[in-house]
Amino acid sequence: MDRYRVMIIDDEKIVGDMAKMSLEREGYLVETFLNGEPALARLKEERFDVVVTDLKMKGVDGMEVLRTVKELYPDTKVIMITAFANLDTAIEALRGDVHDFFPKPVKIRELKVSIERALGSR
Amino acid sequence: MKIEHKIILSNVFNFALILLTGLFAIQNLNAVLTKLRFIEIADDLNANFLEMRISEKNYFLYGNAGTLLEIKDKIKTAESSIENAKNDIVRAVGAGSLSRLRSYLKDYSEMVDMVIEFPSRDMRTEAMLRTAGKTLREFSETTTRLERERMNTIIARSKEVMRYAFWGVLVMAILVSHFISQKILSSLRSIEKMTTTISQGDFRKIEESRSKDEFGSLINAINVMSEELSHREEEIIQSRKLASLGILTAGVAHELTNPLNNISMMAQNFTEYYDSLGREDRIGLMTKVERETERIQEIVKDLLDFSKPKEANLQEADINSVIARTMKLVQNMLDISNITTKLGLDEGLPGIYLDEHQIQQVLVNLITNAVQAMSLGGMLFIGTRPGRRGDSIEITVKDSGRGIPPEFLPHIFDPFFSTKGDGGTGLGLSVSYGIIKNHRGDIRVESKPGVGTTFTIELPVNNN
Repeated sequence: MDRYRVMIIDDEKIVGDMAKMSLEREGYLVETFLNGEPALARLKEERFDVVVTDLKMKGVDGMEVLRTVKELYPDTKVIMITAFANLDTAIEALRGDVHDFFPKPVKIRELKVSIERALGSR
Repeated sequence: MKIEHKIILSNVFNFALILLTGLFAIQNLNAVLTKLRFIEIADDLNANFLEMRISEKNYFLYGNAGTLLEIKDKIKTAESSIENAKNDIVRAVGAGSLSRLRSYLKDYSEMVDMVIEFPSRDMRTEAMLRTAGKTLREFSETTTRLERERMNTIIARSKEVMRYAFWGVLVMAILVSHFISQKILSSLRSIEKMTTTISQGDFRKIEESRSKDEFGSLINAINVMSEELSHREEEIIQSRKLASLGILTAGVAHELTNPLNNISMMAQNFTEYYDSLGREDRIGLMTKVERETERIQEIVKDLLDFSKPKEANLQEADINSVIARTMKLVQNMLDISNITTKLGLDEGLPGIYLDEHQIQQVLVNLITNAVQAMSLGGMLFIGTRPGRRGDSIEITVKDSGRGIPPEFLPHIFDPFFSTKGDGGTGLGLSVSYGIIKNHRGDIRVESKPGVGTTFTIELPVNNN
């Protein structure tokens, strides 16, 4: 059976590293990116099952990642994380067809559950 | 008194003066006309009298009785002329002169009647007739001459009055317009001074209005406006403080949330996979946790620097030397970025009281920003010169970088405002602003996207 592919985009390197460390042990194929542009380039080459992205980033931000992903692969699930835990950004993100929304600090176990559910509901 | 009333009053005065002069002129003209009419009549009479005298002389020379009848005819003509012009004569020379003229004419007429009745041509009769004729003619001619003189006097007098009235109106108009324009100008000047003070944000100096004219009410209106503005300004300052606090809080939250999240995620994995992690991995994670706490510590320190600016330790210093020492600190950074530096330091600036460490911090902040705004090979200019106020000096830091978009300019001194993304905390300029304000100075920015940015610091000379 093919392993699920998960992409993590966050300008804080540790977020990607820690998520990758945990998810790889669950058997996912994980790739991490520090900003939007190379991530979108990589997405054009290959489909990912789940994209976890930071909302606020320099250049290509989380909302743009979401739009591009939905254009390329309508089935791919997008999970948002953000340091701004305010309601407005959450509503904006959910309206844009995101699967889930995590304010920082991120609970990795909850993130994993969310990813599992995303794959199950496909 | 209102200026409008003053203008009306002076106009009324001038109008009255002109009216009086006009009335006087009309009256004089009438007098002149009366005199003229009289002189016309008198000239006719004089001619008549002259002819009588010639006829009288002929009578005595040739003894022709017909000439006496001619004289009688002429006397009649003269009497009827006098009767017709009676009113004009009275008006010009008075009733006394008229009756005298009539009585002289009557005397002469009686003398002629007597000669007709007793035509003796002796010396006595001749002398009496001649005397009567001479008296008549002399009276008439003298009166005419006097009237002519009087008429000239009236004309000369009215000419003089006209001239005085002209100068009077002119002087009055000049004085009044000068006075009023002076008054308007001085009022405008004081109002201009007042509005300038208000525009500089000083709402307290409200000049008591003294005059009760239009400017008085204008000054009152400005006072009311100034008071209103001062209330508004307090509100604005209050809301700005709140907004600033909001930006500060949001900034602190964002800045702290990232390292906290990193620590949290590393701690979660450390606990979860403790058994499966090698010794190196565990130490690696904890080292990173340590680094993240240092990052938090750095932010907190910046925040403290910002919120509680250290008391400036002011000492007299030469600003050019401070800049020279600062350049040593940043020279390496400038060399790496291949930036050409140009100094334009004005010699002979007065020494100023400053906290060298703090001013160096400001300069390093500005230079760092400039370097980051320029691609390799940019141009940095740092200059000093006497300030525009005269009792201050100016420091200029100018780069040829990408510039700041106009919409960002009002916010660049706000805490946590940054255009550098991950590169900065957004506190550098905010802290610099605090330091300069603490030195009772001023920091300004001008920027053109694509051309460059110029920061100007103004420090007062007597700030101790």
